[in-house]
Amino acid sequence: MNRGAWLLGRLAQIVPSFLAIGLAVFVLARLLPGDPVSAVLGDRASDATIARLTAQLGLDRSIPVQLWGFLAGVMRGEFGESIAYRVPVTRLIAERLPATLMLTGLAALIAVVAAVPLAFIAALRADRWPDLLIRSVFQVGLSTPIFYVGLLLLTVFAAWLHLFPVGGYGEGLGEHLWHLFLPACTLAFSFAAVLMRSLRGAILQVLTAEFVDFARAKGLRSQVILGRHVLRNALIATVTLVGLHVGSLLGGAVITESVFAVPGVGRLMVESIFARDYPVIQALTLVLAVLVSLAFLVTDIVQMWLDPRVGR
Amino acid sequence: MDKITGLTRRSALALAASFTVFPLLGLSGTAQAAPVRGGKLVFGRYADSQFLDPVLNDANVDIWVMTNLYDTLLQPTKDGLGVQAGLATKWDLQDGGKTVMLTLREGVKFADGTPLQASDVKWSLDRCRAPKNGPWTDLVASITAVEIVSPTSIKVSLKVPDPSILAALATFNTAILPQKLFEAAPGATEDEKAKAYAEKPVGTGPFLLAEWKRGVSMKLVRNKYYWKQGEDGQALPYVDELEFQIIPDDSTRLLKLKAGELQGTEFVPYTRVKELQADPNLRMELWPSTRVAYLTMNCREKLKDGTANPLGNVKVRQALNYAVNKDALIAIVTQGLGVPMTSFMSRTTPLHYKQELYKHDIAKAKALLVEAGFPNGFETSSLMVAGNQDGLNILTTVQQMWAAIGVKLKIEPVDNATLTKRYRADDFSMRTAAWTNDIADPGQITSYFAYFPNIASLHSGWQDKKLDAIYLASQEEVDPAKRAAQYKEIQEIYAASAPILFLYETPYPVVFRKNVTGFVQIPLGNNMFESAAVAK
Amino acid sequence: MRAKLPLIAGCSLLSVMVTAALVPGWFMPHDPLAFDFAALLAPPSPEHIFGTDQFGRDILSRTIAAARIDLQIAVFAMGGPLIIGTLIGLLVGWFGGVADAVFGRLADLVITFPFLVLVIAVVAILGPGLINMYIAVACVGWVVYARLMRGEVRVQKAADYVAAGRVLGYSTSRILFRHVLPNAIRPVLVYAVTDMALAILLGSSLGYVGLGAQPPEAEWGVLIADGRNFFTTAPWISLAPGVAIVLAGLGFSLTGDGLAALLDVKR
Repeated sequence: MNRGAWLLGRLAQIVPSFLAIGLAVFVLARLLPGDPVSAVLGDRASDATIARLTAQLGLDRSIPVQLWGFLAGVMRGEFGESIAYRVPVTRLIAERLPATLMLTGLAALIAVVAAVPLAFIAALRADRWPDLLIRSVFQVGLSTPIFYVGLLLLTVFAAWLHLFPVGGYGEGLGEHLWHLFLPACTLAFSFAAVLMRSLRGAILQVLTAEFVDFARAKGLRSQVILGRHVLRNALIATVTLVGLHVGSLLGGAVITESVFAVPGVGRLMVESIFARDYPVIQALTLVLAVLVSLAFLVTDIVQMWLDPRVGR
Repeated sequence: MDKITGLTRRSALALAASFTVFPLLGLSGTAQAAPVRGGKLVFGRYADSQFLDPVLNDANVDIWVMTNLYDTLLQPTKDGLGVQAGLATKWDLQDGGKTVMLTLREGVKFADGTPLQASDVKWSLDRCRAPKNGPWTDLVASITAVEIVSPTSIKVSLKVPDPSILAALATFNTAILPQKLFEAAPGATEDEKAKAYAEKPVGTGPFLLAEWKRGVSMKLVRNKYYWKQGEDGQALPYVDELEFQIIPDDSTRLLKLKAGELQGTEFVPYTRVKELQADPNLRMELWPSTRVAYLTMNCREKLKDGTANPLGNVKVRQALNYAVNKDALIAIVTQGLGVPMTSFMSRTTPLHYKQELYKHDIAKAKALLVEAGFPNGFETSSLMVAGNQDGLNILTTVQQMWAAIGVKLKIEPVDNATLTKRYRADDFSMRTAAWTNDIADPGQITSYFAYFPNIASLHSGWQDKKLDAIYLASQEEVDPAKRAAQYKEIQEIYAASAPILFLYETPYPVVFRKNVTGFVQIPLGNNMFESAAVAK
Repeated sequence: MRAKLPLIAGCSLLSVMVTAALVPGWFMPHDPLAFDFAALLAPPSPEHIFGTDQFGRDILSRTIAAARIDLQIAVFAMGGPLIIGTLIGLLVGWFGGVADAVFGRLADLVITFPFLVLVIAVVAILGPGLINMYIAVACVGWVVYARLMRGEVRVQKAADYVAAGRVLGYSTSRILFRHVLPNAIRPVLVYAVTDMALAILLGSSLGYVGLGAQPPEAEWGVLIADGRNFFTTAPWISLAPGVAIVLAGLGFSLTGDGLAALLDVKR
């Protein structure tokens, strides 16, 4: 009952948040210097051509009128048309979103699979050589620019060894996964480093916590302690971290998608910012915000399920 | 007609003489055996098209691929200087150059199987010259009427004799579209119809657009009704399918080519050309182009913010030109692939007049600065598109070279939309820029660079009234010798006053797998895939 | 002793870099801006240990010269969010109520935006360049610090010394800034040290899209990005700045770990 009410409360907060985000991105987009029409038409277009397209796109209307048009459209589920590509924004996003979702999902999975066991090893052998080795490798991951990691992986595994395709997306689920493996590894590299560090800390903390001492005193074998207490606490920490980092994973996807020519929304977002493609910027921001909020919500639910103390 | 072919030959000789650095691949016809039919060609592009309407489009990303979908009445020759038969098989200038009679090719069909009719031609030409229709109407402004004389004969009447009219009828914006299909497209206004039609355009060109994922890929299939024949006597094109993949990252695009996932790609960074030339699986092609790279200077007495502008002084602009060692700059920026500009227009532009422009001379540059009243130099700035490697390399080099005469250059990188906005508002000191012609005639580039009333000479504010008058006269001059003399004078006046920093010309670097043949890129930039073939 | 090892190693690494940033002349074999037309794209040699770039500039010298910019990025890109975030976190954590609720909403909003995208947007609005990058990072980065601080302040609020201070009649501001702040700020500081490494990386990501540090300011990430066109022909261009960026990252994170152990901050 309590939990149900809490969940409802969370959901109720989301709607005004999105209104605020919509407003914020509308203003932000119009703060960008330059305008979409001259960005699309370029240096050579005559003033008359620019005026004509501006009017055609309704960009000569006053800002409040434009804002109202945008918000009213959102209510109806309409996001308008891309200025640069001249197709409905919803279609553009629908074409691009799956690649990004798959990329970030795969990256999160790879990061968790790599980081969790290694974090355990590092924590259980704290400050000895396995710990130092693992931490050094991940440190390199944490300090190498993401595009450079991508370029290296591409050159070695795709161009030299021909184990993977050089970027792109392919067709069909199997090909998608195959194409996205290297970019996902690239994206996972730095995230795995963050995850490993935090998890190692969390495990160390649990290992020295009072309740573990208490369990030991009760005579429980160490495997049981590890399994029952440490693992569960570590799991909670992992879920929390993955949820918290969905935003930065999506951000990292911007660079990864460019390097690997993945047709995702990250690349689209940056292109749209540069092209001043207001409708795409606005719609995409809202879509990404929904995704991140959903990730937070799922995180909260999983946390609640794992840890009865959460949820008041 | 004769005069025009004569002109072409003369310019072609000049071209061959001046462009010895560029191997003229593809022009000599490398394939002995007839090309293989069938198969798919995957070509990597750096950016996607935006709007595939010949009349209302605005960008090279559209123009350069449009020739694969649409045909014009005449077509540019491979060297980009003359015209040859297209949808018209015969053309005749009459009435002192004020009338063009065109005979239409018979049996031409659009890619959907409907036959091409004289009414389509009239409608298309009327549409492309309607004053409200976009930025290219200037190219056909001399046309006053288009009449259907007979089902295979069209008469184009001109206000005044127009020396560029044949080139205009071979330029993308005069492409012939099917009137019925266009008008049947959904939408209330003509603009809406154009948008709907350009989603799935149908022309008489060698290919038909089958699928288009914006910013990702574009699939074109063979137009089975295409009229042009290949070496084997059957209809072109050779390949069944042509796919454009959009891969903005240069390194990734080239890796994909090396891995065989692409059969060819464009815009190879100059730094990679030598490496690709050495690759036994690849063939690097450097196509002669009309591309010139330069810095636009603001030549007004005062800048937008009201401060005095040293660049308003002709001696300062000359000094800046003398202070730049073009050969060293070309070695750094283009890895030696470019050649110094010898006029504001490229060597591949008809009526180009060659001059040696501002040979590196520090002493002269310093003397000019003293004369201009800047013995200790001054500070100035240049805009560039942030992240553009060529622009950055140019400005870094120029910055170093100008330091030798006491001129401090501040590099101001901004994103493209900001640059366009400031440029259009005349709010800049200098900016990096490049230009390619859209028409095989010097009129267009001159109207942008030198003829003030159009766009204030590249927004520089530079004006020479005498040049403006010569230009207007040259637009009606049908005697090639007289027009050439006019253009000589225009180019001399422009060079002497140096409203731009003259830099270099570069070829179009395109690279293919060894088994791909027959691609052509003309100096205007158009990518022609009609004769491209992929051997097994 | 063992626990202090990372701290010592990290601090030594960082002090080398700081020295290089303060007196680059001691280390640079060449003028980092001087062209050498005789040695364009020269591979590593005794003359140019890490080779030269397309202008014939010495890579090692450029990498050393860049240390000043990168450390500046590390400090300022971290400093802005640190100060703003800490203050906001301190106040809302202490006073709670409406301010705290508003903060919670606002923080949720900010972290709903993908970080890099927001930074790119802000830099695009303000124009590329270091100062604008700091502003962009501050717009977004304060939230993490504020959250950390808020949590810590709420714990400290219940501590005995706060009650004691109240009994002694200390003013709220005295309790807040003289007592709560020093006690609550330790995890924030530890996070800040590791955050500096991320700031340098962010600089390189912005460099990739062309919005990073702008010439003539050479910065490691931009140096690496510049080298990507020469990845196959002159890979040495990216090597020295790459090593530098990894070493800096190592320095910051070892120092962070060491500090955490020293200050007994639970991570």
